[in-house]
Amino acid sequence: MWCVNIVSSMSDLEHTGQRAINTVYAGLGRRYAAERRFRLYGMLAVLSGLAFLVVMFTSIISNGYSAFRQHYVQLTVEYDESRVDRNEPAASDFEGIVKSSMREMFPWMSGRSDKRKLYGLVSGDAAYAIRDRVGDNPSLIGSREALWVLLDDDADMFFKGYVTPVRRQLMSSGITLALEGEKAVLTGDEAAFEVIVTAVRDHLQAQLAVARKEFEDMGRLLEETEAGGDRDEVVRFKAKLESLRMQISGLQARISSTSLNEELGSGMPSFLINLDGVYIRINAITATGVSGVVFAEDVTGLPTIFDQWQLVTLEMPPADRRLSDKEIVVLLALQDRGQVESRFNSVFFTAGDSREPEQSGILGALKGSMYMLIVTLLLSFPIGVAAAVYLEEFAPQNQWTDFIEVNINNLAAVPSIVFGLLGLAVFINFFGLPRSAPLVGGLALTLMTLPTIIISGRAALKSIPPSIREAALGIGASRVQTVFYHVLPLALPGMLTGTIIGMAQALGESAPLLMIGMVAFVVDVPQGFTDPATVLPVQIYLWADSPERAFVERTSAAIMVLLGFLITMNALAVVLRKRFERRW
Amino acid sequence: MVTAEELAYGMERESVAKGPLEIFEGGGQVVTDRDDRQTVGEPFVDNPRVSARNVNVYYDEKHAIHDVSLDLGENEVLAMIGPSGCGKSTFLRCLNRMNDTVASCRVTGKINFDGEDINSPKIDVVPLRAQVGMVFQKPNPFPKSIYENIAFGARIHGLARHRYELDEIVEGSLQRAGLWDEVKDRLEQPGTGLSGGQQQRLCIARTIAVSPEVILMDEPCSALDPIATAKIEELIDELRKQFTIAIVTHSMQQAARVSQRTAYFHLGDLIEAGDTKTVFTTPRHRLTEDYITGRFG
Amino acid sequence: MQSTTLIVVLLALSAAGFYMGRRKAFQVSGNDIRTLNSLPSYYGYYTAMWCGIPALIVFSLWSMLDGRAIMAMATSSIADSGVSAQEMSLVYSEVLRFVSGSTIGEPQPHIVEAVARYRELQDTSNAALIVIVLSIAIAGTAFALGKIRRDQRVRNSVEAGVMVFLIACSTIAIFTTIGIVLSVLFESIRFFQKVSFTDFIFGLEWSPQTAIRSDQVGSTGAFGAIPLFAGTLLISFIAMVVAAPIGLMSAIYLAEYASARLRSYAKPLLEILAGIPTVVYGFFAALVVAPFFRNTGGLIGLDVSSESALAAGLVMGIMVIPFISSLSDDVITAVPQALRDGALGLGATQSETIRRVVIPAALPGIVGGMLLAVSRAIGETMIVVMAAGLSANLTANPLEAVTTVTVQIVTLLVGDQEFDSAKTLAAFALGLMLFLSTLVLNVIALHVVRKYREQYE
Repeated sequence: MWCVNIVSSMSDLEHTGQRAINTVYAGLGRRYAAERRFRLYGMLAVLSGLAFLVVMFTSIISNGYSAFRQHYVQLTVEYDESRVDRNEPAASDFEGIVKSSMREMFPWMSGRSDKRKLYGLVSGDAAYAIRDRVGDNPSLIGSREALWVLLDDDADMFFKGYVTPVRRQLMSSGITLALEGEKAVLTGDEAAFEVIVTAVRDHLQAQLAVARKEFEDMGRLLEETEAGGDRDEVVRFKAKLESLRMQISGLQARISSTSLNEELGSGMPSFLINLDGVYIRINAITATGVSGVVFAEDVTGLPTIFDQWQLVTLEMPPADRRLSDKEIVVLLALQDRGQVESRFNSVFFTAGDSREPEQSGILGALKGSMYMLIVTLLLSFPIGVAAAVYLEEFAPQNQWTDFIEVNINNLAAVPSIVFGLLGLAVFINFFGLPRSAPLVGGLALTLMTLPTIIISGRAALKSIPPSIREAALGIGASRVQTVFYHVLPLALPGMLTGTIIGMAQALGESAPLLMIGMVAFVVDVPQGFTDPATVLPVQIYLWADSPERAFVERTSAAIMVLLGFLITMNALAVVLRKRFERRW
Repeated sequence: MVTAEELAYGMERESVAKGPLEIFEGGGQVVTDRDDRQTVGEPFVDNPRVSARNVNVYYDEKHAIHDVSLDLGENEVLAMIGPSGCGKSTFLRCLNRMNDTVASCRVTGKINFDGEDINSPKIDVVPLRAQVGMVFQKPNPFPKSIYENIAFGARIHGLARHRYELDEIVEGSLQRAGLWDEVKDRLEQPGTGLSGGQQQRLCIARTIAVSPEVILMDEPCSALDPIATAKIEELIDELRKQFTIAIVTHSMQQAARVSQRTAYFHLGDLIEAGDTKTVFTTPRHRLTEDYITGRFG
Repeated sequence: MQSTTLIVVLLALSAAGFYMGRRKAFQVSGNDIRTLNSLPSYYGYYTAMWCGIPALIVFSLWSMLDGRAIMAMATSSIADSGVSAQEMSLVYSEVLRFVSGSTIGEPQPHIVEAVARYRELQDTSNAALIVIVLSIAIAGTAFALGKIRRDQRVRNSVEAGVMVFLIACSTIAIFTTIGIVLSVLFESIRFFQKVSFTDFIFGLEWSPQTAIRSDQVGSTGAFGAIPLFAGTLLISFIAMVVAAPIGLMSAIYLAEYASARLRSYAKPLLEILAGIPTVVYGFFAALVVAPFFRNTGGLIGLDVSSESALAAGLVMGIMVIPFISSLSDDVITAVPQALRDGALGLGATQSETIRRVVIPAALPGIVGGMLLAVSRAIGETMIVVMAAGLSANLTANPLEAVTTVTVQIVTLLVGDQEFDSAKTLAAFALGLMLFLSTLVLNVIALHVVRKYREQYE
């Protein structure tokens, strides 16, 4: 046998040792490659964890930072006596004041739907702002003044750049304006409208590509059908193929033609020409120039030759955006006149929820969270500390306390939604407490956070050396006195740390609160523990469900506020632990 | 009458009791009489398998081993003795670079093995440790079967190409460790289920399974009862025929029983080295004499 | 608000009781407190306890139960007129709605009458409560003051009271568990009276929309929960596929390879992931991840649902990463250094040591941690509510939308509920399943981890 040989002969042994070490060297390359791979996997794992964190924070911050500013518009408000009732201001027609102010500025928005669009650009909050203004200063009635009011969320989104990218180009090749009623015809050299021409050609090219793809698909389908032998189908496909061929050749001709003659459809970017503050929306392009609609009331005073003008491109086609060209022209005109301003969004921090994004805020949710946390803290801290003290200091080591311990550890891992079911069945259905109230939310979350607080409280008590207890007992203190006068004060910082972490957990929790009805749409800011309320995370959930772009922004901003609170609380816990950390 | 030497010695002990840092804080009074700690005896041999020269070890700022030079002879058992904390284990761990696992540890000096400096950063520790095996103070079998414990080294180093080769290595190693008859029927049972002495022999078997040339043993019997200790000592004597062995021990009797040469360490200094019989019967250094006559330790 | 005031008054009374008790103690001691059995402040605590605690107990019981009692009395005439239990619950909610000040809808005359009666009874009850609670408080104080003697061992009484409080607090965990079990069990039993247990457990079709009125045409609803269980498992599986390797490998890297400096930065950063509320993950999944998968799928010609299981699972995985990594980290660092030394001393490389010695040694703990993570993924609600689908598809394709147990619980219980309908009760049956499955996972996991800890302690 091999091993016997080793023992029996010295030279053999050396030989084997030599052979062994050679084998070791031979395998080293492979083994170190495995080592490097393993290390790399580890590094990648850590990096991917951190990458997730970074992606999440950047996406939330980039979506949410703009919500902290809001655009306001300056209206000339006339506190007309025919509209404002001196005796009963509340019954006045404030909305009418806003509407007439807008109408005065943009008389060319005259059609029924145009007017509705025009009024829609200002937030419904404007009327309340005017009401408050008159209520505070009744002497204003009969006068007029400039007042800044909130813009509607769509308008706000436009100025924040979420509706469409806007490109402004200053053009300096001269053009001539000719008016034919509503229609304006602009002529100029090739360079003047090159941008528009290119865009039209690109659009035609895209259509051509689609048609060609369809043509190919149809051809393939035809071949298959011919093989199958369904004659009616074949005939139908052939006809379709023919019409596609016509379409393609037509498109090709239009693209290559030197004198374009095209209408600009709603599937294309919009082109606006700004002539000293008068906007013309381009409808068609011809060999000599472009023609379009003038968006202004009175253009008689306008010169006919322009050396400089501005081309405004709204890159998102009208079909794909929430604001029409007319609405955007109104907004651009307001901006040109300096009547639009971006301000700090104070509404966000002072209002409750609302269906209108620009009027919605997180104050209601913040207060709801605050009331709920107060309930949770007042209940869970004393109960948690008491339970930890009993289990760690007084409880005998027996099956009963083992059972309690198993229960606590298990409750710490029970899904939070189950606590919601408990709250619904016990607190609301059995005890008849009000739905949607911070009180019930606080009760449910107390039960949820208790295990965390008890476990950390016990750890804090465990870290106090027995010598402290022995010293106190030795001078004749009772066990209760020992614990309450000597052990507990020393363990308190550790317990507080655990409590803060438990509170942070409760602050971020939402699933159990859905169960007990805290998802209700609550406009009013809650004033007490039994008022219907919602909390910050649930507010985030509600907003996240809303389709408006402005709510995406607000959801992200609310998340930033929530994370701000959580990070502060956790930092507080860390500071507390560092400050009172004691080594025995 | 108290001699100057004794006085110095007493002061030194006192300062040590205060902790290593304070030694350097007392200004002129500090006892750093290095002449008193020059190695005496015969630290070097004619045909060294491993030879360490001017080895210093630092843990952060603490200087744990001062300038130790010592040889390990071919097929001999070298015992390292000395009071606890004297650096004998630290020195042993230098010989297969186990100190690498301690982040704060820094080693200087040269340790020659097979014509190469072990301590050089260029040395690859994996093959080095395959050649210089180690047995630890507390038996540390892996939480695997007895078979897998022995096969571990052979598997990672790729020493067996076939199952039967692995079987041979396992059986041979267990036989040489004197454990085969005790465990041959339960090779698949966990190694942690064996008694302390068996576990330690399992660890020795595990070490010799990779065919090392040198085996380092760090107080291998300190956790064992006398009967198990006797078995290990027998085993060491048997293994000497094939391996060079360095053993750190607390027990002077053990050193006297198993070793051919003995090195006495004191507070990070190698005080005396030489033939075991000479060191124990006619120590040349006062500290050695005090230690083996039981004045301290 | 009224109850808050009452509690404040009670607290003030107790404080007053404290001072009165202490003064009485000084009096009976003849201003020599050494003659007292206990310190004077204990006499104060004693009085305060007698003042506050009985009154507080009566107060809590009263306010918990008065709503039901008042409702029963206010609607007794309606109940007597032979209305079924189901309609009675509708009456209750109607009355409550108008009592709390709703003005929507025109109430029927019998409701108006009940509302008026309810308000009247409520006022009486509130007045009675104030009188009763305050008189109990005062009586308690008087009783305690009367009992104060020089040699009375009040410290023992106070301490006994404290102990009762401590024990009561520590049993809350048990009562919570019992409360959970009972609240889901009772409603589940009622559910299983309407829908057979086997149909629920083995049924393949889930469509809980039942007809609201009995004469309405429409489905009676199908309550086969298999698609929900399958959806839950699919999403949890995807989450674990993401989280298990990343969590475990990052724990290994941070515990075994990373420098102390890197560890001190990377660990807290990873733990931030654990502190982010799940609603934020849900928003992230719905806003970023799901559209990303849908668009990427569109680019390579795959039809990915905008509520794909993949998106929800991936984000849930991200949420679980820090959980796995911190549990694994604990377990890996608990493996004794001696085992690592043993392997390294034989010439194993670091990765060989980790893979062949450390991980096998830590395996029970790691498995326990993974089980806890699975339990967390199964019970996770917000991410799936926001990013997973509502319709119950029985599919294993991660690109399709599936729904989960928790999503269904939320959709069934959020919004207007009908008492006693199978739809509402089904949520509790699902809750029971959820509680039982996570309970089993948790108990096994906690047991395994505990045994593992004991092995190396």
